[in-house]
Amino acid sequence: MITLGIETSCDETAVAVVEDGFHVRANLIARQEHLHERFGGVVPEVAARAHVEALNPLLDQALHEAGVGFRSLDGVAVTVGPGLVGALLVGMAAAKAISLSTGAPLIGVNHLEGHVWANFLAHGEPDPPYVALVVSGGHTMLVHIPEVHRHEVLGQTLDDAAGEAFDKVARLLGLGFPGGPALDALATQGDPGAVRFPRAMADSGDLDFSMSGLKTAVLRYLRAEQAAEHVVSLPDVAASFQEAIVDVQVAKTVAAAKERDVDTVLLGGGVVANTRLRERMAEEGARAGLRILFPPLELCTDNAAMIAAVGAARLGRGERSSLDIGADPNLRLAP
Amino acid sequence: MIVVGIETSTPHTSVAIGSERELLGAVSVAGKARQEAVTPALERLCGWTGIELGQVGGIAVGIGPGLFTGLRVGIETAKTLAQVLSVPIVGITSLDALAFTVRHTHKLIVAVIDGRRREVFSAIYRALPGGVVRGSEYTVASPDHLCAELETVPGEMLAVGDGAILYRNQLEGLGSRVEFASTIRAHPEAAALVELAVPRFLREEHDRLHDVVPMYLRKSDAEIAWDNRDRGTGA
Ligand SMILES: [Zn+2]
Repeated sequence: MITLGIETSCDETAVAVVEDGFHVRANLIARQEHLHERFGGVVPEVAARAHVEALNPLLDQALHEAGVGFRSLDGVAVTVGPGLVGALLVGMAAAKAISLSTGAPLIGVNHLEGHVWANFLAHGEPDPPYVALVVSGGHTMLVHIPEVHRHEVLGQTLDDAAGEAFDKVARLLGLGFPGGPALDALATQGDPGAVRFPRAMADSGDLDFSMSGLKTAVLRYLRAEQAAEHVVSLPDVAASFQEAIVDVQVAKTVAAAKERDVDTVLLGGGVVANTRLRERMAEEGARAGLRILFPPLELCTDNAAMIAAVGAARLGRGERSSLDIGADPNLRLAP
Repeated sequence: MIVVGIETSTPHTSVAIGSERELLGAVSVAGKARQEAVTPALERLCGWTGIELGQVGGIAVGIGPGLFTGLRVGIETAKTLAQVLSVPIVGITSLDALAFTVRHTHKLIVAVIDGRRREVFSAIYRALPGGVVRGSEYTVASPDHLCAELETVPGEMLAVGDGAILYRNQLEGLGSRVEFASTIRAHPEAAALVELAVPRFLREEHDRLHDVVPMYLRKSDAEIAWDNRDRGTGA
């Protein structure tokens, strides 16, 4: 069974071909970072324009790489949310046109479930229950997955997503956009204990997150040091900031697994590419007796293979989406 | 030759199927149509007309100018259909399609589409036997700016399009030499795209698939702000 995946929820145009739900035959991404860099963030109209230009050549390329034609598709999976509505609609228009003209059934996929399923592409078929941490530029949430396709949101960010905090602080440190990877690299040369930034919500007793206070603390620290005419070690600031974020993510994830009595944790989303988060999560997970799984780097960031994988699983259960399906920019994992 | 037309430049979504001889079927949803309805509309139209997509020989699509999000849905749908079906595609501007439908006039045709944010997209046409010929650039401007432009154009005019209806008061300032087309002509129709595209397909004057993109005529807000910032610091 061949499933085509299309993902255009933000600033990556992505197309993938997945066989039998888990075997990735092609996984292509046209990045737009260079288009958004000067604005310091993703501009929805710029993203939507770029998707229209990138998507059709990418479809050709992905099918060519997978060695299949449109006629051999058994399903078409597409992200319907959450994301930028104008961007989502481009991918959905293409997916619907493919479904109508080939007869392959359409299945709308929740982008967040995609990030969870990226793990199964790397580690095999799911065997719940799980606790998942989805952490990216747009999301930071803890999810309990008692059975496949069932989600219970345990906690989420009350303000910025972790990836957003990385990008904003990277900007304060003059690292450009997107700053996450640059900050990660800079932090490896710094001392994570140099500055004690606040661990927001660490003791809130629930599983929610808050990032905006941390960003403000970094700004305040930089200003105070400047005013005092101290030389600021940017690697130290980067490492200390990163440590504060990672500390809270790790602690809450372990707490969530304990609370639900689950021994396997899935990590998903672009921020999972962060080396310190992977490191600390593995350490603390081992200490707590948890199995910590995360996808390879290319499946952490937005991609269409994860969308095709979810789509294949849902199609396999007999689910179908109508050609009338609309985009839902605020789509949730659970009510 | 059977051609599918898709038009989503304005809040009026339409899909049509036709040939060199006749219009086989058309669906138009006036008002605030959801452009996501394009593919379902085409599916229904195929059912009603008994046409299968495998019989289609070409796709005609409205490329704007118009409302960006809707345009992208129509264009992405059309491009992907052409790609999957391996058939040629032709992009036609919304203003050309509007002018074409009111071509039986001796007056100059001013096609005006609402661009939101108190701006209109427009172009001026002259009718010829069998069609129209455009006599101006495609432009985006405030309604006042368009009126000032039209002041300098002599002769009688026929104003057509949702922009002409929306800014009728301003355009009426040009006096009785401006006539307004019927409101049923206010939006470009997919049927007009089919009629305009068929001869181009027969002459094999189609577009390259990857070259078919929306005619935006206006940058994104972020880019406009960026340009202004550049100008501010550069001066
Ligand atoms: Zn994502």
